[in-house]
Amino acid sequence: MGNYLKNIWETITTMLTGMRVTLQHLLSIRRNNVTLQYPEERWPRPERDIGFDHSNYNVIRSRLHVDIDDCIGCLKCERACPVDCIKIETVKVPNRGEDIRSIGHTGVTANGTKKAMVVSRFDIDMTECCYCNLCTYPCPEECIYMTGGPNSEKHEIDYEYSEYDRNDLIFRFAKKVSDEEIESATSVSGVEG
Amino acid sequence: MGIVKGDQMVLNIGPQHPSTHGVLRLKVVTDGEIVSDIEPIIGYLHRCFEKHCENSTYEQVIPFTDRCDYIASMNNNFGYVVAMEKLMEIKVPDRVEYIRIIMAELNRIASHLLALGVYGLDVGAFTPFLYMFRDRERILDIFELTCGARLLYNYMWVGGVSHDLPVGFVETVYGFLDYFEPKLKEYNEILTYNKIFIERTADVGVLPPEVAISYGVSGPNLRGSGVKWDLRKDEPYSIYERFDFEVPVGEGTVGTTGDCWDRFYVRMLEMIESAKILRQALKNLPQDGDVHQAIPKKIRPPKGSIYQRTESPRGDLAYYIISDGSPEPYRLKMRSPAFTALSVLNEISRGWMLSDVIAILGSLDIVLGEIDR
Repeated sequence: MGNYLKNIWETITTMLTGMRVTLQHLLSIRRNNVTLQYPEERWPRPERDIGFDHSNYNVIRSRLHVDIDDCIGCLKCERACPVDCIKIETVKVPNRGEDIRSIGHTGVTANGTKKAMVVSRFDIDMTECCYCNLCTYPCPEECIYMTGGPNSEKHEIDYEYSEYDRNDLIFRFAKKVSDEEIESATSVSGVEG
Repeated sequence: MGIVKGDQMVLNIGPQHPSTHGVLRLKVVTDGEIVSDIEPIIGYLHRCFEKHCENSTYEQVIPFTDRCDYIASMNNNFGYVVAMEKLMEIKVPDRVEYIRIIMAELNRIASHLLALGVYGLDVGAFTPFLYMFRDRERILDIFELTCGARLLYNYMWVGGVSHDLPVGFVETVYGFLDYFEPKLKEYNEILTYNKIFIERTADVGVLPPEVAISYGVSGPNLRGSGVKWDLRKDEPYSIYERFDFEVPVGEGTVGTTGDCWDRFYVRMLEMIESAKILRQALKNLPQDGDVHQAIPKKIRPPKGSIYQRTESPRGDLAYYIISDGSPEPYRLKMRSPAFTALSVLNEISRGWMLSDVIAILGSLDIVLGEIDR
């Protein structure tokens, strides 16, 4: 009988102790509100101060982006990818570092490297991507990078890039060109020049 | 599982069941409400981790280790890079070691918070789950601040870490610790010493130390049975020998040593110890040093093999790597602590009621990603 009453007493007291904790939370609801009204409010990107200024530097991993004008087609990112979601095809250009305007090819990258290749295909399948960031490190031109969360300055795109069709999640950064197109384009520009 | 007698019934729990913590199927033979046999059926989350590794370079293995124990990815990374560094005989800068310890211990707290919160949910306490997830969120924010990912980090690399700490990181973690340590008292009030919770867990699913050792159970489950065994203390890897912390063991405070409540409470105490390690690591963190300095240009370990164990939040996590001198591992085996924890389930839950099986399974804190790999 004593044990029985003791059990009841303990149940009531420990429950009331727990209730006190929840009551404290209820009273401080304005201060400690943690729920975010998602479509109206968005979780801010963490304020990350890395100690130096680097406009491309962004740690949030939301989507891969390629500045295709800077890509030299070295295939390093393709080889680094553990899940093979990057597919690159290249075509050799006759004159290294020369602009081919008709196919929108710039000959020199932002870093001043003369390009020897036209990237005719640069597809990233974001449905396969595992967001490991391994592809961004070996890039010699720093042209493949992850774009950030909701407050990313460089790009408006963010983590909400859902699509109705799976194929729409394959991002094609390069324009398809064939050998013949490059040949004719360079020969035309040669005539003009 | 032998012949099912007439008055017995086979009951399938899972693979889609909220209390099996993933895609696990339990084939339970019940006699009325009493469980007479359990056969865990695994493999629903098998992703060929070990076979994949044989076709990837050593750097590419790290994202795969993330996805094994997705609750404590940092600790999985840690085990792998420690093994690789031992194989390649790389000396890692002090700053990197401290950063790794900070990350591993933060992730241990996050993992235990999830385990305890979900355990409360299993036995019917909803509120602590929300509180613990709220606090776990803060740790994930710290990880996001550091490396840009919230769950699958790919943060620790062979010879270094991917990102250096951001400015103000130390203050952020101190802020978290100051916030977190008083919260433990709150958890204890609301869940640990709640009489209903004690009735559900004390004396239930007692795992005697000899059974635990013979099954190879490790980590908090083993310590809950009163065995003082922690690889951070007994076989220090990285720089764990520099830290001063206790190894909490279960003492049977409210029931028998090795019951569900002990396994639960050991995790609670371990979070305090992790906070202790964190404070020491933050205090001694070297201010300068390049985190990329010791990263080798090409990871091509010499011929040979290595077996390295580390203490993950779930227990003794080990990697066995055979290298044939090529840039890809010849064989990579992962010793998963959750797998051995699951193997002991049949032994300790026979004779208990069906609802207790859920409590026992939750107290073992398994992660199916790691069991199936």
